[in-house]
Amino acid sequence: MAVSISLVVNGEAHKVDVEPWWSLAYVLREKLGLTGTKIMCNNGACGSCTVLLNGQPVSSCLKLAVLAEGQNITTIEGLADTETGKLRPLQEAFIKYSGMQCGTCTAGMILTAKALLDENPTPTEDDVREALAGNLCRCGNYKRIVQCVLAAAEATRGGV
Amino acid sequence: MPNEFSVLGKSLPRKDALEKVTGEVKFVADMQLPRMLHAKFLRSPYAHAMITKIDTSRAEALRGVKCVLTHENTPNVHPLGKFEYLLDRRVHHAGEEVAAVAAETEDIAKEALKLIDVEYEVEPAVFDAEEAMKPDAPLVHKEYRTNMYYGTEHGHAASPSPRWRKDGWLPLQVGDVDKGFAEADYIVEGVYESPIQCNCSPIPRSVVCQWAGDNLTCWADTQIPQWVSKDIAKCLGMPRSSIRVICNWPVGGYGSKQPEKIATLAAIMAKKTGRPVKAVFTREEEFVATHHRPNYKGYEKIGVKKDGTITAMSHRVIGNFGRDFVWGPEVMSASAAATCGTLYMYQNMKFEGAAVMTNIPDAGAMNGLGDPEMGFIVERAMDEAAEAIGMDPVEFRLKNCARYGSRSLSRRDVLGLSPDELELRPDWINWGIVGHDFDSLQECIRRVRDKSEWKKKWKGWKTPVEVNGTKRRGIGIAIGMHMSAYRPYSAIVKTNQDGSVIVMSMAAEIGQGIRTAMAQVVAETLGINYEDVEVLLADTAATPEGWGVIASGGTASAIPAAWHAAQEVRRQVFNIAVGRLGVKPDELEAKDGRIYVKDDPQKSITFREACLRGYQITGAYVNPNPDDLRDEKTGKTINTYACVATIAEVEVDTETGKLDVLRITSAHDCGRAINPQIVENQIDMGLVQSNGYARAEELIVDKDTGVVLNPDLLDYKLMTILDMPKMDDMQEIVVERPSAWGAFGSKGFSETGATSGAPAIANAVYNAIGVRVRGEHITPAAILEALGKIP
Repeated sequence: MAVSISLVVNGEAHKVDVEPWWSLAYVLREKLGLTGTKIMCNNGACGSCTVLLNGQPVSSCLKLAVLAEGQNITTIEGLADTETGKLRPLQEAFIKYSGMQCGTCTAGMILTAKALLDENPTPTEDDVREALAGNLCRCGNYKRIVQCVLAAAEATRGGV
Repeated sequence: MPNEFSVLGKSLPRKDALEKVTGEVKFVADMQLPRMLHAKFLRSPYAHAMITKIDTSRAEALRGVKCVLTHENTPNVHPLGKFEYLLDRRVHHAGEEVAAVAAETEDIAKEALKLIDVEYEVEPAVFDAEEAMKPDAPLVHKEYRTNMYYGTEHGHAASPSPRWRKDGWLPLQVGDVDKGFAEADYIVEGVYESPIQCNCSPIPRSVVCQWAGDNLTCWADTQIPQWVSKDIAKCLGMPRSSIRVICNWPVGGYGSKQPEKIATLAAIMAKKTGRPVKAVFTREEEFVATHHRPNYKGYEKIGVKKDGTITAMSHRVIGNFGRDFVWGPEVMSASAAATCGTLYMYQNMKFEGAAVMTNIPDAGAMNGLGDPEMGFIVERAMDEAAEAIGMDPVEFRLKNCARYGSRSLSRRDVLGLSPDELELRPDWINWGIVGHDFDSLQECIRRVRDKSEWKKKWKGWKTPVEVNGTKRRGIGIAIGMHMSAYRPYSAIVKTNQDGSVIVMSMAAEIGQGIRTAMAQVVAETLGINYEDVEVLLADTAATPEGWGVIASGGTASAIPAAWHAAQEVRRQVFNIAVGRLGVKPDELEAKDGRIYVKDDPQKSITFREACLRGYQITGAYVNPNPDDLRDEKTGKTINTYACVATIAEVEVDTETGKLDVLRITSAHDCGRAINPQIVENQIDMGLVQSNGYARAEELIVDKDTGVVLNPDLLDYKLMTILDMPKMDDMQEIVVERPSAWGAFGSKGFSETGATSGAPAIANAVYNAIGVRVRGEHITPAAILEALGKIP
């Protein structure tokens, strides 16, 4: 039996009819067309489908859509400035230092890192590693990703 | 040297970077088409069984179900090779497709699977390769009377290799090993194993099929679009011109992206229903129904003299290829050619390989095909050989490793393919031809030795680098080699009237960065901006013929084709400029978007102006047959292998068995780094995957039922960021020894990273604890077992 819920995604309110067993990842992708959220493992093991729920990173494949009712969700599509399209420092850094290879983990990495930087603007390498420990990158791009996050932190501090 | 280039050798942003950081990037799994149906597959719970009855009436009656396929209403054809069936009455491993359903939604399709009633007659099954080789073993494919691949005397008619022995072994003998062992001062012998490693492609296998009349479009998540096209054509009896396979969206593949079977099934269902059909595997299906790196068991014997000379090597290898369909001989012959037949200098060498079929999921291609599995075996044995004569393992490798002029075998040498057979299967051949390109192996070893401070850290055999209570630190080296396949490939470069350029190639962007590297090579060749070049990839109706992206053939084959096609465009552009500037073509130079006279740079026209005057300038190029490539000095045909040396430092807690990899230093020869940042990323990919290979990754198959016990990413362990050394302790060394034929000297090097990481860790663990771990894994349990602390 479908349930009607409201979700605020990237600042925009949506009314969606969902089945109670649908995950937030499924609804974002299949019902709202936000396919920037990638599903790799679909059981909470890889962090690819990470979105920010009220600013906190969650695996959207483990979150039932009905439990996200009324909450504020940020997906990768909502990260750049919606008016100007200006990218965030994290996005700029991932471009500059090739933080991605195949691109499956990228959205989850960037959003998890954003939550870290929002909380801790001056992370150490260990802080970044700890924060990203739940995000798998099968292309093995970890070193570069840490470099990107640290560069973004520095750029943010520099007011860029 | 690199300063002479404007675009090449620079870490420019990837062409696909922006779409990947904004979420705009689309995979096939993200596609939606109007009226699209969703496909799901029913899978066998048994490892070996006959389907005695299959009733789909309840499933078909479910509202929203549009099509159900079983072996009863599906053509009895083989999408890939002899052993893969579209849908068969017999199931050969737990997880094999039994039926396919297309329905309005995924939920309905899943529900329908439960409503298909199947009766199975379970048959005896075999899961272990050595068990499967016994004469009385259950047969995986009954029609072949043997489980040994290419055991021709048993009725397997499909062997393309005259050299494969009739008893199912692939034999290879160079020199006289008995004489070689007789000359040895020491002989080391050991049995080593390597685990089943899974590709774990980030996005599971996916396709979308849509028909318009008799024409099919298939968006496929694949590394080899033309195989998908060829196999659909074969199964459905269509000309390839009526099939358009598109994979110009990225694919995270490491060798596994071959969706021929689901593409064909989706195409049939789309035809029957008149609607587009999308099929996306689940993560579990990715584990049970795609192919993996085979488990190898290697019986190694190495003879050495006191001065470090290898007098003889004998490798007897048994590979478990599961149900298999096509890859067994390819992987086994690759192991024989590179790691056994080329990596070390030798006079006397014997190789015997058995590619064995069992009732477990398929083995096949994975990053480094054949060489990581063989390297994990050979490089542990070589370490024991060095120890036997008390020689520093780095010096031992420096003394014995391959170099210019040393013996090198290609896969063709190994398989002994005849010209007729090359004709039959043109896209299977020429992975490795014959020659050099690995002359830099010694340089790789020296540079990795120096960068890792080996001389300071290595304290000799049986002496750890450091002992701190129960914790012991060790250091180890391994070398490796993998094909950098030069083969037929074509490319088209065409100009637009605004001076921008489009490159067309069959190579797919699988994350390796070929879209970026190809654009850099073409921009450099034409003297134009990187931003003015875009690359259209992997569309069988639009891009010219090529072999897909496997065997590190992207940089080795696809990019050279684009490079030469760009040179043809440049030639035409120069001809236009000649008319305007009144000079000869060889007096011209192209740089910064201008064509100018070298001696009088003020005399110039812009590239854009030339494009406008030329209306449409097109350069097309087809790589010459690899046989035509000859080494300049010796006149011999050329073998394109890339090489690597890796040193690992580890810390082992001898109480708990906990293993930490502290530092990895790895030197790779990429010929020339087209984009250094991407080169380093590709090196890291191999290092991270080979860490997992040594320490954690393994597909676990139940020994009694053949059922995969860990088909998810919680139980199949990939390396996390915390499992890898910190930034400063991951040292990639990029060696640039230009290749004679690659674009600007570049080589295909991306898979070498996977070959030497695991044995380097194993050898470092030995240095730390003083006991060899010869089994599949260097886990805490294996370490404690080796130390005699647990039974």
